[in-house]
Amino acid sequence: MITAADRPTTHAAWPAMLPSLVVAAVVIWAAATTETDWNRLGEAGPRILEFLGRMLPPDLSVMPEVARGLAETLRIAVLGTLGCVLASLVLGPLAAARLAPAWVHRPVRSLLALIRAIPLLLVAMLMVGAVGLGPLPGILAVAVHATGMLAKFYAEALDDVDVAPVAALESAGATLLQRLRFAYWPQIAPVVLRDTIFRFELNLRESLILGIVGAGGIGFYIQTYVRSFQYEKAATVTLAIAIVILLIEGANGALRRWVS
Amino acid sequence: MMNTPGLLPILATGLVHTYVGNRTWALAGVDFAVERGEVVALVGPSGAGKSTLLTLLDGRLRGWHGAASVLGLALGPDRPPDRVRRAEVGFIFQEFALVERASVWRNVLNGRLGRTDPLASLLGRSTAADYAAAEAALLDTGIAELRNRRVDRLSGGQRQRVAIARCLAQEPKLILADEPVSNLDPLRSERVLSLLARTARQRGSTLLFTSHQPELAALVADRIVAMRDGRVVFDGPPERLDPTELDKIYRDEPLEHAPEPVP
Ligand SMILES: Nc1ncnc2c1ncn2[C@@H]1O[C@H](COP(=O)(O)OP(=O)(O)OP(=O)(O)O)[C@@H](O)[C@H]1O
Ligand SMILES: [Mg+2]
Repeated sequence: MITAADRPTTHAAWPAMLPSLVVAAVVIWAAATTETDWNRLGEAGPRILEFLGRMLPPDLSVMPEVARGLAETLRIAVLGTLGCVLASLVLGPLAAARLAPAWVHRPVRSLLALIRAIPLLLVAMLMVGAVGLGPLPGILAVAVHATGMLAKFYAEALDDVDVAPVAALESAGATLLQRLRFAYWPQIAPVVLRDTIFRFELNLRESLILGIVGAGGIGFYIQTYVRSFQYEKAATVTLAIAIVILLIEGANGALRRWVS
Repeated sequence: MMNTPGLLPILATGLVHTYVGNRTWALAGVDFAVERGEVVALVGPSGAGKSTLLTLLDGRLRGWHGAASVLGLALGPDRPPDRVRRAEVGFIFQEFALVERASVWRNVLNGRLGRTDPLASLLGRSTAADYAAAEAALLDTGIAELRNRRVDRLSGGQRQRVAIARCLAQEPKLILADEPVSNLDPLRSERVLSLLARTARQRGSTLLFTSHQPELAALVADRIVAMRDGRVVFDGPPERLDPTELDKIYRDEPLEHAPEPVP
């Protein structure tokens, strides 16, 4: 027999619906308050086609500049990755609960979270302000920005190791550095390599646009060609970037399979 | 309290320990001593406190009470022994504690880390003495042909020998072995345990090992110490370990002095 007490009340259903309501409210707020001329969407089809048409055929005469810009972006990504690896080799262990006391690893973790919270472009603009235009601020920005994630990954790898062999080496008289080298490192090496490769790929993708704020690389040409309506040239840049990204993705996939 | 440890490898009085959150004593007042060169077997039912005692003597247990001296030097409950001392006491772990992704040879060489110059070893350089000791340990344990195999590709019995070889390579004056043959078949158990005892005797090392096989332990040890509920309940030569004594050690009912709960 169903009594009044058994019947689900409307009040009880409220909490379950809350997340959906919040999402709906946010979407409505965004759509209603954005000053978008929604009618433009209707005419957009032909306009986008026309725009794409202007990108064709890609102007391959700018290939040398594009290649130079891409090479600089690659250098920024490589050196930026080197920088964040070096910083993470120090900050990673300091952020690991296994290795550093709470009064060290807690603040270091907060610092890393703070670094992660600042977008790369913002870091790059600050670096341009600090050291001037060119690839150097780009390298520094990538190094700083990527350390926020990579050092966290290194710390997690260190905290995940099997402690038994570490205790065994300690029992045999190994120093902390010896334990790091011969008990921790063999266990974390595959993870560290995988995470570093992943971070390099991210660094390369993110540094493509660094040139927009004057921090070096191919981004400068994207900016220049689009602003000056040279869409055939912009098309060449876009194609070249797409090809490089695909190549890097393929290479990283192969590398990751080899690591595991 | 002042002990007169002399040169006894192990001298312990009134060792008491309880793990955080547990309601019974892991060690409830353990007194015992081991003479230099002795081969002593520590037996007793599961949970008797054997591993706890060995860990304490290795200087890796915190928060215990009582007095203990190992190789003539007092051990404290809150300060780990220094590097030299740690190198002189070898430990064979119940669960092997090997670096799985490293080779047999590297694992055995790891036993030498306490005796090599830290910087040189980090650069991958070991001394001739290190290589000789590791080589001898491989030969003594019969795993020389496995040297280049990675540990995660070994059987349980093979791992056990690597763990023993790592300890022998350390050339410790005192060997603490926690169930060093638990993963071997009966025949190999006897062989490996005899080998461990023989090697210890040849090298003049003292050996204290735990075992769940009192008959086997009696075969290789000079002396048997039995624990139950955190206390020593038998201490004597193997001949005295008759069925009555065994029954007292392993009987499935509480002793007269059942462990009082920790206050
Ligand atoms: N790390 C730990 N944390 C909490 N309690 C523990 C821990 N290690 C052991 N104990 C407890 O302490 C007591 C003694 O354990 P110990 O491992 O020393 O026994 P043991 O004689 O070695 O047993 P076994 O023969 O099964 O290895 C047991 O009651 C066990 O549950
Ligand atoms: Mg045990």
